[in-house]
Amino acid sequence: MHLVQKSATILSLCLFFQPSQGAEKGSPVTFSKDIAPIIFESCTTCHRPGQIGPFSLTDYKTVKRRAKQIVEVTEERIMPPWHADPGDVVFSNDRSLTPQQISLFADWVAAGSPEGDPSETPPLPEFHGDWQIGKPDQIATMVEPFTIPAEGRDIYRHFVIPLNLDQDTWVKGAEFLPGDPEVVHHILYFLDTTGKAREYDAEDTKPGFGMSKSNAGFRYIGGWDVGTQPSELPYGLRWLIPKGSDLVVQIHYHPSGKETTDQSSVGFHFSDEPTSRPWSIIQIPPRFGELQGIDIAAGDKEHIEKATFIIPEDCEAFAVNGHAHYLAKRMELTATFPDGSTRCLLRTTRWDFRWQEDYTFEEPVKLPAGTRLDVLISYDNSASNPNNPTIPPVGVRWGPSTTDEMGSITLAAMFDTQDQKMATHEALRIFLVNQLIDRLMEGKFGGRNKQMVQVRKLLQALDLNQDSQLSPSERIPAIDFIRNSDFMKRFGAIGFD
Amino acid sequence: MSPKFLGIIIVMLSLAPAQLPGAETEAVRLKDLSGKVVEPLANHGQKVTVLFFLTTECPIGNRYAPEITRIVQHYKDQGVTCHAIYAHETSVEITKHQREYKLSVGALLDPELNLAKLTGATVTPEACILGPDGEILYRGRIDDRAVKYGTVRLEPRVRDLRLALDAVLAGKPVAKKFTQPIGCYISFPDPPESPLPNQEK
Repeated sequence: MHLVQKSATILSLCLFFQPSQGAEKGSPVTFSKDIAPIIFESCTTCHRPGQIGPFSLTDYKTVKRRAKQIVEVTEERIMPPWHADPGDVVFSNDRSLTPQQISLFADWVAAGSPEGDPSETPPLPEFHGDWQIGKPDQIATMVEPFTIPAEGRDIYRHFVIPLNLDQDTWVKGAEFLPGDPEVVHHILYFLDTTGKAREYDAEDTKPGFGMSKSNAGFRYIGGWDVGTQPSELPYGLRWLIPKGSDLVVQIHYHPSGKETTDQSSVGFHFSDEPTSRPWSIIQIPPRFGELQGIDIAAGDKEHIEKATFIIPEDCEAFAVNGHAHYLAKRMELTATFPDGSTRCLLRTTRWDFRWQEDYTFEEPVKLPAGTRLDVLISYDNSASNPNNPTIPPVGVRWGPSTTDEMGSITLAAMFDTQDQKMATHEALRIFLVNQLIDRLMEGKFGGRNKQMVQVRKLLQALDLNQDSQLSPSERIPAIDFIRNSDFMKRFGAIGFD
Repeated sequence: MSPKFLGIIIVMLSLAPAQLPGAETEAVRLKDLSGKVVEPLANHGQKVTVLFFLTTECPIGNRYAPEITRIVQHYKDQGVTCHAIYAHETSVEITKHQREYKLSVGALLDPELNLAKLTGATVTPEACILGPDGEILYRGRIDDRAVKYGTVRLEPRVRDLRLALDAVLAGKPVAKKFTQPIGCYISFPDPPESPLPNQEK
């Protein structure tokens, strides 16, 4: 028996024989002793007045009223929201409840939801008002309010907020404050140094701009979703806001049944110290899969996209997240180390576009040079997928709109040296160049774009054996040419420079 | 209670006609927002009564507000009387809720949960269609947009309540008399015994 199996067996035996907390004979599950500690710890942060949770769970009365619903949403693991499957890594921000905690709710309801001795109820934790991690050094608020209608599809919209920083500034943490918590679901932050975001904003008659404009030229710096506890970057890491940058926030709104307006804010905590180590993101496939050739047939229940990247320099990953749109169902990132051992760094079998979570590793994961990273994303484009935005289904390709698809998994990783980081960026760029070559050879990218047509002709000339593919040796001059050509710039930055 | 006896009761319940005892329907007297006593189930000559079970803080129910208002408007000239039934809130809270969500449907306060008990409604939002003599013609979801908690279709595929109302008004039988609504549970002091079986789970 393998050691892992053995310890798993021992663990399950322990779980089996362990009486569930508070459920021993003569000690019924009560609110004060058993339920309140779980609720206050895991639910009340959001489910309290003025916060994002739709109703309050702050005392016996409010919790008892929702008891049956709490049993269902915890058993189905809908709440607390956490979409990573348990696996090979421990996440420090894991919000999920243990099976023991979940069964306590059912036991409590079965016992008639008794209160127990009120004097045993723990006090409510001390919650902060607006800003959770202290008063920010700079607060960036949406320039004008945005109106969210009473009903209709969810809205994903970018808003441009000038930061007016006259020097490059190190940031240790950022926090998001929703204007109307009832309609804000999640946000993603980007920085724009190109001025493109302002142009898009000016072209659009309403505040901000929609998803049809690509945010590809912007630098992704993080996100926030319902229930996320803001925190500073770990390990003394910092990120840099170049002077003159605009903040671009992409906000996901879900109409609530009443028309309302939102004017959300982002609070930045600055740092005098630069980052302790160089760090960046490793996104596989890069550019959210723009050159992956995603082409999902209408009705296809299990369309699988795979991508593999070999880590070129030693690094340590400290967080991971996935991104796709409505059709994705399952995603997985597995590391195969140079010694042949493997470790799954993220697996979700219930991807949900509505939740954009960052998963932080409890311990950094060392990824030595030569580590292979395999990404798998599976999509369901059938009519039986309740999240399918288009019924009857249509063929779906890569694109920025929510009815298009995307797909990649992103690691945040730190390096010992800036050279290692740059070499990793370069390897990702070569990965992207190879994808571009494949797509151009297939005739699936570039359309009639003059430049792309020229490059396609050149690639076809390099295809000496005329098999409509470029072999590794045929590819060498092509990679060199494309890598050094101007038009790779259209794909923007590949990581944090 | 012996399992056999319990079994007989269950069989009896499931065979019970979908009609509420007349005496009980007449006896339901509830206050509206102005404090006036209303008998929502008594026969006032209306063809059809629709009850919408709501709470002010259920996000699933709140997202239905525009659709509820549209249904009320669409059917009001066809002899359909609609009521919004609230169990847990005060008239001040309900008034605010109705204003914010532009709900143009008369609200009734049912703190004793009489209507939920009589009709077998268990969640909000849930709709119930009653005939002039209190017979239940439909009970369940408004449409099928909610798949489960947290999973909502972008558009409903089946508008169950409208289909049922159209059938009733056309004098036709309702194809699907009971559907499983998804929403926030109505909090009964004691778990109710549903007088009518749910045919779809």
